[in-house]
Amino acid sequence: MKIAKSVEHPNYIQVFATFAKNSLIRNMMFRTNFVLESISSASWALMNVGFYLIVFEHTNSIGRDTGWEKYEFFVFLGTTWLINAIVQAFFMPNAEEFSELIRTGGLDFALLKPIDTQFLVSFRKVEWSSLANVLFGLVLLAYGVSHLVGRSTHPWQIEPITWLLYPVFVFCGVTILYSLMTCLAATSIWLGRNQTLYDFWFYITNFSRYPSEIYETGWGLPLWGIFTFAIPVLVVVNVPARLLAQPLTPRSPSEWALAAYTLLATVASLLASRWVFQRALRSYRSASS
Amino acid sequence: MILRIALEERLVYRGDFALGTLMRFLPIITQIFLWWAVFQSIEGRMAGYSFEDMVAYYLLSMLARAFSSMPGLASTVARQIRDGEIKKFIIQPVDLIGFMLLGRVAHKIAYYTVATVPFALVFFLCRGYFTEGWPPAIVVGAFIASLVMSFLLGYFIDLCIGLIGFWFLEVSALLFVYMLLNFFLSGHMFPLDLLEQPWRSLVDFLPLKYLAYFPAAIFLGKIPQDRLAFELAIEVAWLVAFIGLARWLYARGLRRYSGYGG
Amino acid sequence: MAIIEIEQLSKSYRVYQKREGLSSAIRGLWRRQYREVDAVRSIDLRVEQGEFVAFLGPNGAGKTTTLKLLSGVIYPTSGTARVMGYVPWERSNEYRRRFALVMGQKNQLWWDLPAQESFRLHQQIYRIELEQFKKTLAELTDLLSVGELLGRPVRELSLGERMKMELIAALLHSPEVLFLDEPTIGLDVVAQHNIQQFLKYYQQQRQITILLTSHYMKDVAALCRRVVVITSGAIKYDGSLVGVIDKFSGSKILRLLLAAGQSSDGLERFAEVESIDLPKVVLRCRRGEIPKMLSSILQQYQIEDVAVEDPPLEQVIANLFEHAASDSSNQVSL
Repeated sequence: MKIAKSVEHPNYIQVFATFAKNSLIRNMMFRTNFVLESISSASWALMNVGFYLIVFEHTNSIGRDTGWEKYEFFVFLGTTWLINAIVQAFFMPNAEEFSELIRTGGLDFALLKPIDTQFLVSFRKVEWSSLANVLFGLVLLAYGVSHLVGRSTHPWQIEPITWLLYPVFVFCGVTILYSLMTCLAATSIWLGRNQTLYDFWFYITNFSRYPSEIYETGWGLPLWGIFTFAIPVLVVVNVPARLLAQPLTPRSPSEWALAAYTLLATVASLLASRWVFQRALRSYRSASS
Repeated sequence: MILRIALEERLVYRGDFALGTLMRFLPIITQIFLWWAVFQSIEGRMAGYSFEDMVAYYLLSMLARAFSSMPGLASTVARQIRDGEIKKFIIQPVDLIGFMLLGRVAHKIAYYTVATVPFALVFFLCRGYFTEGWPPAIVVGAFIASLVMSFLLGYFIDLCIGLIGFWFLEVSALLFVYMLLNFFLSGHMFPLDLLEQPWRSLVDFLPLKYLAYFPAAIFLGKIPQDRLAFELAIEVAWLVAFIGLARWLYARGLRRYSGYGG
Repeated sequence: MAIIEIEQLSKSYRVYQKREGLSSAIRGLWRRQYREVDAVRSIDLRVEQGEFVAFLGPNGAGKTTTLKLLSGVIYPTSGTARVMGYVPWERSNEYRRRFALVMGQKNQLWWDLPAQESFRLHQQIYRIELEQFKKTLAELTDLLSVGELLGRPVRELSLGERMKMELIAALLHSPEVLFLDEPTIGLDVVAQHNIQQFLKYYQQQRQITILLTSHYMKDVAALCRRVVVITSGAIKYDGSLVGVIDKFSGSKILRLLLAAGQSSDGLERFAEVESIDLPKVVLRCRRGEIPKMLSSILQQYQIEDVAVEDPPLEQVIANLFEHAASDSSNQVSL
């Protein structure tokens, strides 16, 4: 799409702030609902932790020599919740709404606005109640990390660079999931209905919630390959979590390669989502009521 | 007649059904990988389960869940109460509890006519995990009985929650709590044997375990044969209790409802 | 140069033909049966700056599709269109900043929020200067007298009030071209009238270009000098509103006032009898036959008064649509 230089673009940050503000006003209007949703998503998280507490009653680590012992794994879980909660807060309501906009023809209005359409549909709503889970993820992270730093047998220090890299890779993870979700939502332009798509989303992202080491054996290898390279959901949590849960050095070269690959995959999937989105818009037929 | 209509309606969506059933097994795959990794690090059994047992457990509890889960039942009942649709059961000589039960039976039959194929396929592929082979006939009998009862128990528990809608218009929060507890404490997420005391005994006293854990435990021989009859008798007691509760709630609810003048 | 130039614009949809039964549904996964539906067939149209043009046509005639093409919401199958020199479906920000589309059946305001929050969002998306924004908003709310409703959640507004808010949202960035799709649909007479008055005033003040589709002939009669009739995706007429009658109505209405005691028996020999309410009789006859028929009637009956009129516009249009509908249903069955 050609855009002349002289044209003023909207201030995207400011627009996003207004979206966030409007969503907050809306959330606050249905306060009981908001509280209930916060509680319910937090209790899912608690249950998940409960399950792993039970698992760690019976074992020291997940997989042999993988480095995923109890507190390292809490870092992993914390990262999982953090990333998923961010996705749920910012993108999930919009992806759902996007399918709805296509079904009702409400997408018309988004197409009329002098602003990037993908931006407009992706950021319109913020589900503030999911931020409870962001908080939960952070608490879990802090708990895990503080134990790792404070333990008596080889405690380790976190290099400042780790604190810099971790958010970068969390951002990468969020972006990859966002791209995947956008692609799935955009396909509802062609398919019309999307129930199975959301199941698909759930099942795919389910793979990202476990350490990738568990797949790196026997007939798990094809899965590992598919979900690392074809649909890169495995790097979403694994790369940032491993970065924070293990000392920065020594690291095998393959880990650095995977980290570099993650950056690449982020850019690639974002571009892919843009491409799919633009293609989908061309097929948009604008349901008339 | 009621049965047939519901059956026909269900069979229309058979394509979705078969696909949906296969998809249901996908999360199990990741679970299995997780357990595989865990068993790698402990080398041996965990609370009496070998890795193979664990896989077999998940498959069996999945089967039990297919019997006992009642998607949308409580919310449907609650909605009917809210919208006043429930009135037709007051006017017509049809019993809501029996009517809905038949509907669910039809639903499950229709489900299994389609779901048997994917289920059989998965169980056949995974037959290697059932290291003990088929259990003795008496255990199989108890297993089937527990499956049937898990269906009934699941139905009546869900129904009771729906009927609470007579008193509270919005049951979704309650339903969510139930779903959460059910997921965690029925054995759907992990074999209940993994729990430490005193949680283990506590969960044993709850009826939720019959919805997923119990049938699987019977099949895997986790419950000694001489205790089978006793355990099944307790399940029957729970079932009778919930039938009674549902009847009572329904009768009280209707009276309260007509008290309002509809 | 005309502000809107459309040449040979066509849009056809491929509609997936569903078949009965599961087996064909499965076959449909590989090979789908499609049917082409032409929503717009090779339309040519030029609109000059400052015109207020109405699109008339039955449901499914292609009016809305044309507006959507001009808004760039959908892509055409073939043909070209330029609005203010822009190709609409390129969706350049520059173009999107200069026009607006209002649809009576869809709303763009945030349902749960007060309209003013949506307006503020528009201010940011369109980058309207704050001073300018405040001035425009005050002016529009004043004209539509909805000032005190700005702070109320949109879902609590009446249909008419909501439509006014939608109009404000569309006009905040002072568009030069405005597309209105059924803006008064479902509104009561008072609200309809208010919106008509507003549109009329606003268009005259600003001299903007407006394309309007509506089912209400009153809207059209009150607002537009130029009318474009579209049926089955093609333009059938383009001209003044009065011209529609000349072109599409071959008949005239004849009102007779019979003399006292004169019976109306036998009038049906001359013309179609619309109504008899003695001493008044209303007849309908073909346009060319008026002189001949009138003289024979005057010879045989005692008449006090005679009036010859055009049929009412709404009737003409309704007939026109009915014909179009039966035409297109014939086409489908072929």
